[in-house]
Amino acid sequence: MSVVRLFRASAALELAQLRGNRGFVALTALAAVSFLVMVSLFGLTGSYAPVALIDRDGGPYAQSFVEALLGAHHSFALKYMSADEAEAALLSGRLVGIITIPAGFSADIAQGTTVPIDVRIDNVNVDLTHDVQRALPAAIVAFGRKHKFPGVRVQMVEHDVLPRDTGYIPYLVVSALALDALVIAGVLGAMATAREWERRTVKLLRLSPASAGLVLAGKLVVAAAVAGGALGIAVLAIVLVYGVVPIAPWTTVFALGACVAIFTCLGAWLGALLKRTLAAVPLLFGLAMPFYVDSGALEPTRFDGEAIWMIAHLSPVYYAVGVLEWAFHGLHVTPEPVYVDLLVLLAFAVVAAALTLGRLSKGGGR
Amino acid sequence: MTGAVWGVARNDLAVWLRSPAAIAAALLPALGMGVLVAVLTVSVGRQPVALVVQGEGRFAARMARLIRADTDAYLLEEMTAADAERALGDQRVAAIIVVPEDFDAGLARGNAVVDLYLNNVNIDIADDLRRAVTRSVAEFDAPQLGLLGELHGPSKGLLLPNPYRVAVAEHDLRETEVSFLQYQVIPIVVLIVISIGLLGTALLTARDFERGTAKMMVLSPAGRLPLVLGRLLGGTLITIALVAPLVGLGFLTHHIPYCAEESGAPLWVTMLLSGPCGWMLPIPPWRHGLALIALLAAVTLATVGLGTLLGVALRNARLVTMTALNGAAYLFFLGGGFTTVAFLPDWIQMVSRFVPTSYAINGLRQALFYPDLVGFGRDLLVLSACAALSVVLASLMLSRAWRRA
Repeated sequence: MSVVRLFRASAALELAQLRGNRGFVALTALAAVSFLVMVSLFGLTGSYAPVALIDRDGGPYAQSFVEALLGAHHSFALKYMSADEAEAALLSGRLVGIITIPAGFSADIAQGTTVPIDVRIDNVNVDLTHDVQRALPAAIVAFGRKHKFPGVRVQMVEHDVLPRDTGYIPYLVVSALALDALVIAGVLGAMATAREWERRTVKLLRLSPASAGLVLAGKLVVAAAVAGGALGIAVLAIVLVYGVVPIAPWTTVFALGACVAIFTCLGAWLGALLKRTLAAVPLLFGLAMPFYVDSGALEPTRFDGEAIWMIAHLSPVYYAVGVLEWAFHGLHVTPEPVYVDLLVLLAFAVVAAALTLGRLSKGGGR
Repeated sequence: MTGAVWGVARNDLAVWLRSPAAIAAALLPALGMGVLVAVLTVSVGRQPVALVVQGEGRFAARMARLIRADTDAYLLEEMTAADAERALGDQRVAAIIVVPEDFDAGLARGNAVVDLYLNNVNIDIADDLRRAVTRSVAEFDAPQLGLLGELHGPSKGLLLPNPYRVAVAEHDLRETEVSFLQYQVIPIVVLIVISIGLLGTALLTARDFERGTAKMMVLSPAGRLPLVLGRLLGGTLITIALVAPLVGLGFLTHHIPYCAEESGAPLWVTMLLSGPCGWMLPIPPWRHGLALIALLAAVTLATVGLGTLLGVALRNARLVTMTALNGAAYLFFLGGGFTTVAFLPDWIQMVSRFVPTSYAINGLRQALFYPDLVGFGRDLLVLSACAALSVVLASLMLSRAWRRA
């Protein structure tokens, strides 16, 4: 049989199998969009702590202080409410804290008196508590500087490495694409190979005179194409819904294509190793989250310490996030150059494809 | 009838425990989330920062001391300017704080500066550092703007004048603080209950249709009601069998040595134990303990009923797995897992009110972390209603499906 015919036959068979599992494929694509949504929900909790503001003064300095609170590095989502409502909301965990500006605040400030602001914090979660504790001095400093009060001798001067900050959600959703690629392409790749054991066709494959490599290539190309289509939906959501447009569109397309190809190969190897789709799918879902976090998805991994950074090198998502953040935002989130990230991803793919072929062509069949 | 119910339940439990793939399917994603929380704990809060002290005067030294003292904000490393620049380029630090050579002279003129060179890769990390460095710098002229001043200054009646003219009188709501990891362990417990209850029961039900054993069950003389009750009991037992030891472990980890932050254990021991140590639940008073059990029981029943419905509707193990994994993830995130619902936009908060897991997570946090049980009645009522509804619907649907099998 000619190489082309064999490849086409294998691809056609895989396509027919996937058509027969439309529900499964649709749910896999849904998982891709779900990850984006979930990552966004997580991103929303990174800033704007809900805090009640009780302004008992109402004067101009009180108003100015409120503006300083609102401008304190995306720290507070101020909610105006009565003391009783605020108390009830704080006790039921709907607020992080209550800030009370006392009566006479503006008059005292005008006279040069230092006024204590009463702040009640629900310190149930130390991370949120620290955020509020650090944000209040930032607001107070901004307030003092705005009014040029005398006596301030030291100030911070900021020099940013990058011309602009990247929003947290735009940053997170791009890295979520790498996670999407891992899950979708991995699951479809795993299903393509695990099916051979589940339906006991692996023996036929081994007895066949056809090249196992070509058969595998046909199956994986189709799995990767379908995964690419599902990932395309996620990319469209990022561009149209989140308004995040890649600064390097062709690089993005190439990087995503490479991620899909690589993760399909890794999934195929996992499927051949576990021999059951039902075992491979949860494993991929289970691995996805730790891989995601330890990959520079939330911030450059090396900021989390050398040990975590070293471990991250074992994860293909680390390299994928490095390439995608560069393609979308122009950010370098790995100390390694982007081309090194890409080369490592390709090496992952080659090794995974070789291992899959090994599993398909010899031993371990049942 | 009791014998038939127990027989089906025992059989389901045995089948499930003999299915490593099903156990993995239920547990791995939830445990993956647990690992995610553990890693997040390292990521949040403190950032690696290089401190370069070029000034040699006593005020520069004081400024440096203030920055060094804020161990809650920075993982600080002192370096030369050249080393710090290299570290910033290699991403070993997220920022460089420079106390410049002319700091003391600048202070005498009333315009000293502290430079912050910031890798503003995203606003989360950049804002964390801006807030932290601003506070450290402000402490120089206004010592009470530091953490100790916030906690033990004006709130204790000690107010020192400061040039910014505003001080913070912080009053904390509770005595002890719960770590980020502990706070997030609760949603993980709920996710494990959802995953096992939903996926375990759904897979058992789908398996009966795939293998044709549903027909055999209907032909048995036991009658449909005991079989249905047996299936629901089996799902509940499976969930309890896996969740109870995990929750128990959460109370036992208090006794693991080296879990304390200042234990002095080597780094590798700390890292090795970070997982089990993170899985630490505060030991509640007995009333709160009962509330905890009641909430977990209600969530278990609700998810078992839902799992049965899913199994009846899809009748295919693959579809069931993917649907349950997707569904569990939505229930988890919209219910407040890894998120604080109060932070989310109003419309998502509204959606969250219709997600039963939000009541479970709220209720469990209330039972474990808060001194009283405010809102517990409402949480338990909603969960019990969901449980009752899903169990009744599941019984009806399963009975009908088996009749037609």
